[in-house]
Amino acid sequence: MPVKWLMHWQPNQGSTLSSQVLAEVCQCVEGFGAAAKDRKWRTTLTFYRPMARDSAAAPVSDVPRDLLGIALHDRPSAYFFILRHHRIILQADANVQLLMDKLQSYKARVVLHFEGSQYQLGDFQLRVGKCGPSMSETLRGIMMEVEYLPLSSIEKSRPIMEAFFDIWHETITKASLPGHFVISDSNFSDYGLQDYYSPQHTSLQYATCIAQLMSAGRS
Amino acid sequence: MECVVQGIIETQHVEALQILLQGLCGVPKDRVRVHEFCLKSGPNLGVVPSEVRLLCDLAQPTPTWTVRHAGGAMRGAGAEQLSVLVRSVVESKVSNNALRFFYAVGYKLDHELLKIGFAFRFQRVVPITVTVTSANRMPRLHAIDDAVPLTPGIQLVEITAPAAGDNYNEVAAAVSSFCEYLVPLLHLSKPGVSTGIVPTAAAAASSLLSNSGGKAI
Repeated sequence: MPVKWLMHWQPNQGSTLSSQVLAEVCQCVEGFGAAAKDRKWRTTLTFYRPMARDSAAAPVSDVPRDLLGIALHDRPSAYFFILRHHRIILQADANVQLLMDKLQSYKARVVLHFEGSQYQLGDFQLRVGKCGPSMSETLRGIMMEVEYLPLSSIEKSRPIMEAFFDIWHETITKASLPGHFVISDSNFSDYGLQDYYSPQHTSLQYATCIAQLMSAGRS
Repeated sequence: MECVVQGIIETQHVEALQILLQGLCGVPKDRVRVHEFCLKSGPNLGVVPSEVRLLCDLAQPTPTWTVRHAGGAMRGAGAEQLSVLVRSVVESKVSNNALRFFYAVGYKLDHELLKIGFAFRFQRVVPITVTVTSANRMPRLHAIDDAVPLTPGIQLVEITAPAAGDNYNEVAAAVSSFCEYLVPLLHLSKPGVSTGIVPTAAAAASSLLSNSGGKAI
């Protein structure tokens, strides 16, 4: 599977996120000569919370409150659960969401969509997206997915991705946009993931990205 | 959803049952060797207590894992009249860290079993699976090499068929109809409704074995 890197938008101090910024980022991508593709993409992140047997009693203890579910845009038949504190990524069939609903032990509390347009630029596929709650137009963040088609090794792709990132950073700076992109670096080895890229790597990158977007939003 | 019936048979008659099933199904049997983990939600976790089963298929060259949740039996006058049990079921393939995951989200191991036997998967109006297994318990945690039969001399026969809300009557009828062929050897009924061993089993088994030259196919 081709390697992907994720980047999230870090606004400058005092500036705010807006769909105008998103539009200008897309213009920069098109300015590269990237060809827009017809199909949109969407990756969905769900925050789950444990349910207590007796709602009047104390909340259930000793269970994680950081259970994350991820549906990747390019893996519709799969679903991923991540427990960040335990460093566990579970890959399952997509119907595991139905199973989780039937158990009634964890409930989906917040659902976020990463969605937007995709572009082809030589050996790269680029996806520029906004992050926001489902059923709402609120913009929580802007991010990019950069996929390099010829390579599956994360280490081998690193110098190429870094060179791409440098050129991209320069482009954003020249366009005087009110912020810059930051690479969402994930510690794959902490989760037992190897150098060969996989959908589990992607799910971890999205989990890292949302954590960093939320942190950027707070600061 | 699935339709399901169960029955028990003495181990000494399993060979005859296998011959009968081979003739009826017309497909080769599949080996069954499944390590089953029954997990229950911890105290106070979940709106209701819940249970999942993790199934590790050891018959494959590389073990594969499935998580399964079976719902309660369908209720109502229509369901009562059926001779098969109809229940909701969700099964999902999972990665091999599933046990660690469910422990982490608050599930505890209630018991584990090693199920050994065979299965026939075939089509008769609907897809039907007949599984014949002995259930084995482990004297120590996960010690499958030391597993011993839970019910020595007795094996479980289970017949299942996938169903949907708009066809479970037809599926139930197909399963019931197939069960008729097995009547000489065993009686099948809804899980939880005990019927015991069939008195004609010995004679039927003897007849099957002598007709096939005493050899299982």
